Amino acid sequence: MTGAWLRSREAGVAGLILLTVAAVGTINPRFLSVENARDILIAASPGLIVACGATLVIVLGEIDISMGALMGVCAAVLGKLVSAEHAGLPVWLATLIVLSLAAGIGLINGLLVTVARVPSIIATLGMLTILTGVGDLLMAGETIGGFPDSLRAFAIGHVGMLPMPVLVALACLAAFTVLTRETALGRRIYAVGSNAHAARLAGLPALRLKVLAFTLTGLLTGVATLISAPQLEVIEAGFGRQFELFVVTAVVVGGASMSGGAGSIAGSALGVLLLSLVRTALIFLQLGIGATYWERAIQGGFILAAVLADHVSRRRRVQR
Amino acid sequence: MLLETRDLGKSYGTVRALIGVSVSILAGEVHALIGENGAGKSTFINLLAGVVHPSSGSISIGGEVLEPGSVRASEAAGIAVIHQESTAFQHLDALDNLFVGREPRRWGCVLDRPRMRAEGRRLLAGLGETLQEGRPLAELSVAQRQMVAIARALSVRCRLLVLDEPTASLSARECGALFAAIRRLTAAGVAVLYVSHRLEEILALADRVTVLRDGSHVETRAAAGLSKDDLIRSMVGREVQEHGHGAPSAPGAVRLAVRSLSRSPCFHEISFELRAGEIIGLAGLVGAGRSEVAAAVFGADRPDAGSVLVDGRALPPGDVRAAIAAGVALVPEDRQHLGLVLPMTVGENLVLAVLASLARGGVRRMSAEAAVAAEQMKAMAIKADSPAVPVRTLSGGNQQKVAIGKWLAAHPRVLILDEPTRGIDVGARAEIYRLIRSLAAGGLATLVISSDLQEVLGLSHRILVMREGRISGELSRQDATQERILALAMPQEAAVAGVSP
Repeated sequence: MTGAWLRSREAGVAGLILLTVAAVGTINPRFLSVENARDILIAASPGLIVACGATLVIVLGEIDISMGALMGVCAAVLGKLVSAEHAGLPVWLATLIVLSLAAGIGLINGLLVTVARVPSIIATLGMLTILTGVGDLLMAGETIGGFPDSLRAFAIGHVGMLPMPVLVALACLAAFTVLTRETALGRRIYAVGSNAHAARLAGLPALRLKVLAFTLTGLLTGVATLISAPQLEVIEAGFGRQFELFVVTAVVVGGASMSGGAGSIAGSALGVLLLSLVRTALIFLQLGIGATYWERAIQGGFILAAVLADHVSRRRRVQR
Repeated sequence: MLLETRDLGKSYGTVRALIGVSVSILAGEVHALIGENGAGKSTFINLLAGVVHPSSGSISIGGEVLEPGSVRASEAAGIAVIHQESTAFQHLDALDNLFVGREPRRWGCVLDRPRMRAEGRRLLAGLGETLQEGRPLAELSVAQRQMVAIARALSVRCRLLVLDEPTASLSARECGALFAAIRRLTAAGVAVLYVSHRLEEILALADRVTVLRDGSHVETRAAAGLSKDDLIRSMVGREVQEHGHGAPSAPGAVRLAVRSLSRSPCFHEISFELRAGEIIGLAGLVGAGRSEVAAAVFGADRPDAGSVLVDGRALPPGDVRAAIAAGVALVPEDRQHLGLVLPMTVGENLVLAVLASLARGGVRRMSAEAAVAAEQMKAMAIKADSPAVPVRTLSGGNQQKVAIGKWLAAHPRVLILDEPTRGIDVGARAEIYRLIRSLAAGGLATLVISSDLQEVLGLSHRILVMREGRISGELSRQDATQERILALAMPQEAAVAGVSP
């Protein structure tokens, strides 16, 4: 059992994380501080949360690339609903509206893929484009600020040592780990992704599972917005942009197969951590403006390496 | 009586896969279902399983009519099916595979792992297997996976267990364990519907045998006293119809020579020669490795060993372009996906194989293409309003003519046709036969792969029969009968030791 784990993708990514921490820590010891670790975890939280849903979608053999744009829309709507200069609604009501909106968009994605049979990459690409436009329309070139203190307190608050966003992320990870490993629902999701034909013969409700996965991804995107947007003084246009690439990359790096059936919440979480770590590490390496460009290149390298590793291991299995 | 089908039928478009089958299955019996490829066995099973919806008739079990076309209803009624194709979930472990879809649960949603484990151990122990937990099924052996599938079926309290070719990948010892499990089930009153090509197995195991032919129910009789030859005769039928085949013109020089071609695990040591003007029929059951041989000859797959010679010159292995350049053409089995580009026009499809040679400096020459397309449409008697209509809109027979005509435009020296008349109606069939014969008379060396015995007998000058990846025999046109071909095609018993009670 231990031997098998050491050969797993999760172990590989965990090893890369340790290696990165050790290497960057040697060059710049300040990287190893508690504050930095906390900052990295806070920054990783939205990714950790949304990756839970994205993992289900990818395990089912589908993909969702509308999360970033949805985050932008959610942030804009949230700002407009709660800020004193706009609607000024109570926080609980605004939260409820944002979560329903996010889940509703996810539901539409799911229905497009299952009922209308639009390939998921096209359906969510369309959604991405629409939501980007809606977000820009809502922002109208301005910024939205003035979150009430109660909401900001939630997003930057602590429970003991743990920042609130990290706590929410951990709760999501725990819930989805149980869901995928210990419930009938979770095992059925893996079964449908593993062999759609056999799933049909076993009478599994493939379409309903897909709708659920997309809806959960939408809902989690709403949650991620609620814990990240109020950290900022003001929301600017472009909030959440390319977040979907970050999440999908992390999930694939974490061992999920684009052809479905394989992947784990733990792996995806490690993938998010690795990519977040790289982002911060590049800043600590003091590359200046180049850091952003390097981040893109490294992210791209990771996704290609992950897909290649998946391909090679599958070919080896077939040959046996 | 446990289960009864009344006038059960299924049509796909104009193709009638199953026609008015009325069969009854008794509790506690092993009921064998046999028939040639395409006789309707799979359709019958899929109807029982609720995977497809019947076009006519009904199924009743235990006196109650079964809701048609519902997997859940069939399962709830106690019908468990082990399908021939892989229905396992490769990414999940044995335990998840056993229970997915009907997991024992606590509090409504959380898996009851201890119960799954205990029950999984018990089920597999009944089959002489041990439970391998935590390893994805892809890492287990074929036989272990098969046992998991059977254990899955046994995990429901089933009244009828349907086994579709369960021993195809099992060793003798594993077959023995399976047969023992079957006997234990029938002793407990479960009925087993057993589909197999292994006739000796059936004679040893079955109480009664139902024979299907061309979608129709031929007969159901007690297995006691029957011989293998009786079964083959019943599967084939008596009305062997002559196709009025002209005598083979004197065959010319050897065009295609295949020497000891092997590609594990699909086929081994395949050798034959095909002469100019000759038509060889390659017969065998689905899965015997015939299409795989064709793919290797054509260079689409790389063989492990052996060589392919065209006009005495060896082709480089695994090189489609070299094979085409040497004059080999392959019209594949799956016409719609592999043979044609459906949204493109008839004319565009017809010139696909010669695009490069018609072009000048890499630029297409429309006039030359139009001339070739018109010529082929006329030669092949393709019924289409013009070369400009999409291939998709043609009938199956005319589509097949386009698929063949596409290659003829390249003036091939060796033509391989894989199931040339599958899904084509009788009239168009005759036309395609005429075409194949006239091409051979013109000197083309032709290899026809077909599961339709009458087609093989009607077209071929010589017949090669494949069984489990090897050539099991060669028959001349004069010696060949449907019975002899089938006897060569049916798998040899590896498992006889395990069969005897």
